[in-house]
Amino acid sequence: MVLVGGVDIGNSTTEVCIGQVDDSGKIHFCSSAMTPTTGTKGTIHNIVGIKDALTKALEKIQKDISDLDEIRLNEAAPVIGDTAMETITETIITESTMIGHNPYTPSGEGFGLGTTVCIKDLFNVEPGKDYIVVIPRVVTYEEAAFLINEASKRINIQGAILEADEAVLVNNRLNRKIPIVDEVKLIEKVPLGVEAVVEVAGQGKTIRYLSNPYEIATLFNLDAEETKYVVPVAKSLIGNRSAVVIRTPKGQVEERIIKAGALEIITPNHQMIHVDIDEGAEKIMDLTKEIEEIKDIKGEPGTNVGGMLNRMKEDLAHLTDRPMEEICIKDILAVDTLVSNPVEGGLAGEVSLEKAVAIAAMVKAEQLPMEKIAKKLEEEVKVKVKVAGVEAVMATLGAMTTPGTKLPLAILDLGGGSTDAALIDEDGWVRSVHLAGAGGFITMLMASELGIEDRTLVEEIKKYPVAKVESLFHIRMENGEVIFYKEPLNPKYFGKVVVLTDKEMLPIEKNIAMEKIVEIRRQVKKKVFVTNAIRALKKIAPFSNIKNIPNVVLVGGSALDFEIPDLILEELSKIGIIVGRGNIRRIEGPRNAVATGLVMSYGGLVK
Amino acid sequence: MVEMNEQLIREIVSRVLQAMDEPKDEVQPKQLKVLDESKVLFKEIGPAKYSSDIKEVAVGIAPAFGVTIHKTINGLSHEQVLKEILAGIEEEGMTPRIIRVTKSSDVAFIGNQVAKLAGSGIGIGIQSKGTVVIHQKNLYPLTNLELFPQAPSLTLEIYRQIGKNAARYAKGEVVKPIVVPNDIYVRPKYQVKAALMHTKETELVDRNGDYIEIENPFKKGSV
Repeated sequence: MVLVGGVDIGNSTTEVCIGQVDDSGKIHFCSSAMTPTTGTKGTIHNIVGIKDALTKALEKIQKDISDLDEIRLNEAAPVIGDTAMETITETIITESTMIGHNPYTPSGEGFGLGTTVCIKDLFNVEPGKDYIVVIPRVVTYEEAAFLINEASKRINIQGAILEADEAVLVNNRLNRKIPIVDEVKLIEKVPLGVEAVVEVAGQGKTIRYLSNPYEIATLFNLDAEETKYVVPVAKSLIGNRSAVVIRTPKGQVEERIIKAGALEIITPNHQMIHVDIDEGAEKIMDLTKEIEEIKDIKGEPGTNVGGMLNRMKEDLAHLTDRPMEEICIKDILAVDTLVSNPVEGGLAGEVSLEKAVAIAAMVKAEQLPMEKIAKKLEEEVKVKVKVAGVEAVMATLGAMTTPGTKLPLAILDLGGGSTDAALIDEDGWVRSVHLAGAGGFITMLMASELGIEDRTLVEEIKKYPVAKVESLFHIRMENGEVIFYKEPLNPKYFGKVVVLTDKEMLPIEKNIAMEKIVEIRRQVKKKVFVTNAIRALKKIAPFSNIKNIPNVVLVGGSALDFEIPDLILEELSKIGIIVGRGNIRRIEGPRNAVATGLVMSYGGLVK
Repeated sequence: MVEMNEQLIREIVSRVLQAMDEPKDEVQPKQLKVLDESKVLFKEIGPAKYSSDIKEVAVGIAPAFGVTIHKTINGLSHEQVLKEILAGIEEEGMTPRIIRVTKSSDVAFIGNQVAKLAGSGIGIGIQSKGTVVIHQKNLYPLTNLELFPQAPSLTLEIYRQIGKNAARYAKGEVVKPIVVPNDIYVRPKYQVKAALMHTKETELVDRNGDYIEIENPFKKGSV
């Protein structure tokens, strides 16, 4: 009878499993433990963590490292991933045709049409006509209201555009309420003496007239040709609570496509496939789907995407300590996303959601120096240490201990840098694949879509549910449930959306609705992990038919996520595949699969 | 009346013209219309009671505010400071209310006590020297939602933003962080003045005093 320890060194945790194997090859699992990985995965710094984890596990059965007969290490998958993003559209306003921003507090309701006039000229204009008054910051709200009230005796003031944030203050002092848009930062750029429309929607509503091209045509008497030009204006105003549209002879709003360059996918028989980035992620993914094996992917030199892929390769070359020419991108995952960018030519600091393509890439690296670790460890603990098997294979072995599974069995390892999948069939053969795009990619996409720069915070938003602090004594969870507190909460959470981590609440200091955060979080997770789950399973499935895989077991850190397994199950159950979070040896959950597999492989189960 | 209006219009127009000639970043902060000095500003109406109007945000003024002291530690007139805070609350669509607190000269207690009288449960406490706190009725007095301890660094612009933030707390919205310049010389420079002002304020404290409702002196529509 021998005592064997399986050790899995991961990017963030080191997991061990201790098992007894008797002479007939029967395995009896004794104990397991987990510690944070010390140092970068695959370096000798890991040894501290390994010894720590082994000691912890052996303590539980009153043993010591010297009682072990063999320590078995995993052969880590030599893949590294990286991510990047490129914006492919930009919105440009020429000649100040519109103001389409969303101030917190516009005032009035409805819309007003008139000629723009600066407040200083209010008493020099032709009487009896309709005007929109433009008010710079130097005029106080009391003075502005006073002047408008006085001038209204001889002209019709239909609306106002304010530089300061004082729309409500001005309107409260007017004898007749008008729609007012405020916080227009570059007020001096608003053209004077031209026709303009100000629209403010009622509370909780969005504008109706200026987001409709035909309404704009009606208001400005436009013909069919001119109406065509206001479509982008109307489009960019959809969803706003307030807006101003100014009629200028040549001005318009344009959505330009930035020439981002092209990707060149090289196949092993030196075929080169060309795809433009601005055609979108879908097109790129469709093309890569058809390619059996990718030899390398290059970006068109001198373009944005060229620079982007070069930067990635540079980083990876640095990481793996190899010349850049040897870095070959073996897989990419492209995803369409939106980035909120300032509008060029905007007068009020408007932002517009621009299209962008985000790319995760994966390269194969040299074998990690696991043998070196094994040798060093053997010297230190005086126990035989063996690098015992490929990670994916070991993970499948371990996953088989999940109750309710049968062969052929596939595992999906949802990691931080790559999505790995492996399939073990009835004869014990294992096939595995590594794909680009995983947890880190999700964090990047969420950060850009939410507009939050703090990556640590985004990481927490990704992992935990959010809630809205409705009073100091209760919060409303994202599923609608209410939690009450006896003691008042810390005032710093008051009125904010918070992330409920295991340890504490983290306030999100940005004004984003809770529902929006949940929507973005789920959508991004779907875009990455659901897409990758299907991509990976197709590659390893017998006869490339995903339906030939009856069981999929999710393992790895992201399998612990509170919603990713559900999202994948939702999608895969449509094609009749059983998928779920693994439960290694009935007790470990999705953890410890590789370490368990290493102990099992001692019996020589794998061909 | 007509004559006065015309004069006022000319005055404003000339100011706009002047400001437009200047480069944008050098525009002076807004000059408020000079208030009538002789006017009795803080007219007492009677004892302040709890109101259930949830749109209401209370501003608690300290015992000497506008009584024996008329300017904050950096020389801003109490009327202007109060006016900016009220304007901030109004811009956010909430209703301001002014209450004089005579029981205490401690800014935290003033803020917390008026918060308990306001329908929204949000109150602002302000001392004569200009220190401000935003408070909530359920908090312990010595905690707060936001505290602005460095009165000499506060400007009218900041007082407006404080009013806006208080109103946003009342609406349950996310507040905008307020940028307050930090001056390390404030303490040595103002320590004596602050102590004297606080002593003068505390002299008017009456432990059994009432909360007094003050009429809003800035009636809508008056210049």
